[in-house]
Amino acid sequence: MYKDNLVIADRVFSSRLLTGTGKFNDQKTMLSALQASQSELVTMALKRIDMQNKNDDILAPLIEHGMQLLPNTSGARNAKEAVFAAQIARQALQTNWIKLEIHPDPKYLLPDPIETLKAAEILVREGFIVLPYVHADPVLCKHLAEVGCAAVMPLGAPIGSNKGIKTADFLEIIIEQATVPVIIDAGLGAPSHAALAMEMGADAVLVNTAIAVARDPIAMSRAFAKAVQAGREAYLAGLGGQSQVACASSPLTAFLEVE
Amino acid sequence: MIINVNYQRMDVEIDLNIKQLFSLLKCDLDGHAVAVKQQVIERQKWASYQLQENDVVSVFQAIAGG
Repeated sequence: MYKDNLVIADRVFSSRLLTGTGKFNDQKTMLSALQASQSELVTMALKRIDMQNKNDDILAPLIEHGMQLLPNTSGARNAKEAVFAAQIARQALQTNWIKLEIHPDPKYLLPDPIETLKAAEILVREGFIVLPYVHADPVLCKHLAEVGCAAVMPLGAPIGSNKGIKTADFLEIIIEQATVPVIIDAGLGAPSHAALAMEMGADAVLVNTAIAVARDPIAMSRAFAKAVQAGREAYLAGLGGQSQVACASSPLTAFLEVE
Repeated sequence: MIINVNYQRMDVEIDLNIKQLFSLLKCDLDGHAVAVKQQVIERQKWASYQLQENDVVSVFQAIAGG
């Protein structure tokens, strides 16, 4: 039977919903939400340990739950810092997969395109499987694919904004031109946003804030999983074209007219 | 000897290696990474990598993130 899997680099995923592990109130809720999402690939961050106040270990439970890990370079402000962060992540998590994100401005967290391309080239040369977080810039996405990135992750709206897909026209171009999977990342605040991304032909979406800050993160995870699946099925089924004028769904014969 | 770990001065035994430093810090090895003088040290070398006087050591941990 035909399986509609997501393939990134050498890995096959049956879920097209990637989930972030940040912002959850507690570890138990996070793990239950991740399970409910059916995500197979989840993001993590790295930080310098606080010698006085060590963080809980979240790695072991994630691995126990069968999650594959996608560390990010969050906190990097330029290519040099991002390469260093990726090298740190590779040693910490023993994976060469990296979500490359470089955002020098803490207010909008918008990705720096120049530094991202620079870092991507270096990381690909160093054997990383690079998934860069970028603005919805079709030219940049082409360049990133050309230098060997395994996927591109254009944003729908600023990180954590929950605003949905504000970059639709450009995402459509990216998807049309794509030679690597397109994962819509950032800004997806509701399952309907994720469904729309998938209907547009995105290969996958990454969601974190919308799930983590929901009143019921586990139920919200389930809702996102269904939305991603529905959106994908709709895309594969082929959406009807849009029209400025009405197009009747019933025959407009004049059978009620009096002769 | 004196080393600096994550901005903190530590007085440690001479010939301390990275693996021993982790046990001193009561840190698991999994999910952690180390850089000495901004050079990332491969995990396989931790047991043989001996720290030197005045080394600046950074220890990182995987945490939740999006």
